[in-house]
Amino acid sequence: MSTQLTTLLAVFLFPGGLFALVLGLSLKGLDRRVAARLQGRIGPPLAQPFFDLVKLGFKRTMVPATASQPVFLGAPLVGVVSMLVAVALVPVSGLYSPDPMLGNLIVLLYLLMVPAIVLMIAGSASTSPYGALGFSREMTLMLAYEAPIVLAVLAVALRTGMGQGGVITFSLTDIIAYQRSHGMFLLDPVMWPALAAFALFFPANLGIIPFDIPEAETEVLEGPLLEYSGPALGLFKVMSALKAVVVLSLGIALFMPLPFDGIWGLVGWLVQLAVLMEIGVTVVRLSMGRMRIDQAFGFFLKWPLLLAIASVVTVTIVA
Amino acid sequence: MTDHTVACSYKIPVGPLHVALEEPMYFRVAVKGETIETVELNAGHVHRGVEYLATKRTLLQNMILTERICSLCSNSHPEALAMAAETIGAVEVPERAQYLRVIAGEVKRVASHLFNVGILAHLVGYEALFMHAMQVREVAQDLKEAVYGNRMDLGAHCLGGTRCDMDDEAITYMRSALDKLEPDVRELEKTYRTNGSILRRTRGIGILSHADAIACGVVGPVARASGIQYDVRTAAPYHVYDRLPVNVPVLDGCDVWSRAMIRLSEAVNSIEILRVCLDQLPEGPINDGGDPYIPPGQAIARTEAPRGELVYYLKTNDNPEPERLKWRVPSYPNWDALTFMLKEAKVADIAIIVNSIDPCISCTER
Repeated sequence: MSTQLTTLLAVFLFPGGLFALVLGLSLKGLDRRVAARLQGRIGPPLAQPFFDLVKLGFKRTMVPATASQPVFLGAPLVGVVSMLVAVALVPVSGLYSPDPMLGNLIVLLYLLMVPAIVLMIAGSASTSPYGALGFSREMTLMLAYEAPIVLAVLAVALRTGMGQGGVITFSLTDIIAYQRSHGMFLLDPVMWPALAAFALFFPANLGIIPFDIPEAETEVLEGPLLEYSGPALGLFKVMSALKAVVVLSLGIALFMPLPFDGIWGLVGWLVQLAVLMEIGVTVVRLSMGRMRIDQAFGFFLKWPLLLAIASVVTVTIVA
Repeated sequence: MTDHTVACSYKIPVGPLHVALEEPMYFRVAVKGETIETVELNAGHVHRGVEYLATKRTLLQNMILTERICSLCSNSHPEALAMAAETIGAVEVPERAQYLRVIAGEVKRVASHLFNVGILAHLVGYEALFMHAMQVREVAQDLKEAVYGNRMDLGAHCLGGTRCDMDDEAITYMRSALDKLEPDVRELEKTYRTNGSILRRTRGIGILSHADAIACGVVGPVARASGIQYDVRTAAPYHVYDRLPVNVPVLDGCDVWSRAMIRLSEAVNSIEILRVCLDQLPEGPINDGGDPYIPPGQAIARTEAPRGELVYYLKTNDNPEPERLKWRVPSYPNWDALTFMLKEAKVADIAIIVNSIDPCISCTER
């Protein structure tokens, strides 16, 4: 098979595209169901996110009269496309490794920021004052978590690069291969600060409580998404489902790739995704309230940044 | 020529329909970034003309009408109306009926306060605590349903007494329900006192200083959280409150958190009052068997609704319909105090501050 064809398949079929969409929506369904059970409710069917998406697909998209239509409708498209490429960029241990032509860890980090930027653009294009509030909050939050996550990823890249005799590697495939032969970074105390920083970045990037500030329903009425309806809102749901898969599997690739191949690799990866979703998303968002934007900003410039800096320093010293 | 200067502040509408507000309120808020500069309060979205309607109904019909003014303090309205009418007619309410009135009022108070602190958890995004508070409240709801047959409008009062009696079975059930409720409410109180997520978003937010509180004439938990020790149950005891262990908690935090803590300690105190009522409940009639005659006259009655002091003014003439029925609800002065609380607040805290006065718009705008 030609490289182009494999890449296209990776973006649109597996592990990106259709597969990632189904996976992301199922994870969201699981999250909602488990959350309901933890709160003593019955909860929606596991397939509820699919039903929601289909329903939105049949509705009309209303564009506010004052909004700039191309930007308003283009923003969710850009978001979905960026996430489709991003899913195809994350390798799955023993199952899939992306073509180096597609990009490396740095490209992936850039792509991960696109949904936040898209939300900002969508919020300001909608001309709603709540969209504008969402815009400023999204931007503040992004500024806060950007530095820690880059440093945490840098620590992983340094550790792998030095372990392999070089200085640094930005290939996720290499990072997975290194961990498969030397043991997961999850079990390596040197990498724990980086892991902690990543764990704190994760709810902020996925926009869940305590960091769902830009879209806080009871404060800014979903902020940037306020004016969206129908298929355009559906695209945002697709983007967010894909983003969950990207961020979760990036976490798995960086810190805990399983040493299995083939079908067991797939099963193990799916189990890891589900467990991470429950521990990292459901339990976190149920066990605390939302922070205010100034509190979140202060928080990120304290702990995650310190942890991330500590991780880079320890990795350099140990090597 | 178009003006290209960038506006530093802009106005956002909060309400009249807003996911975080349960009832239609409308605030026009001028914000600079995330900080509020000025607030305009607007009212009148649910005006239904109940006061006018009340003059077209007989007193008996008004007992039913006033109960439907508001759901959360539905017990206090007919209670105050009955008290005003009984004052005019010099009707003696049997002692057992007075105890039963206290019981109905205190059960409603527990449910109302738990609802409010539950909503607070929802507004700070703490969904699990919200669900838990609502589950605890469900015990009180079951209690109301078991004893009065309704979860919200109890229909407990009639002119000259109460409509529902409590038999031994109901008393036993109420005791067991209170035993179930008390540890849960105490646990909730501890959670609200210590949980970081709650403290982070409620302490030092929505400050209403002692002086401002007096100037606004606020009542109920809002007043008591600003250091004003005022509760109609102790200031002007009605029914049998002078024989009951009414504890008036006062805090001087002046913030959202203090108001929530006042509500929780009142809920605990209400449970204690209910227990004492059940112990002291005397035998005897619960009303005088028919509709008492209310002669022409006028009277004022005051009760302590869950939100604070509720004042009823009733003027009767020779007709069965009252000439004038007017009430001042606790949310009326408390609503005005929002202008002080929202000063310099963050947009993120608007809903939390508004909820802290436990606004009852359907009472206020009737």
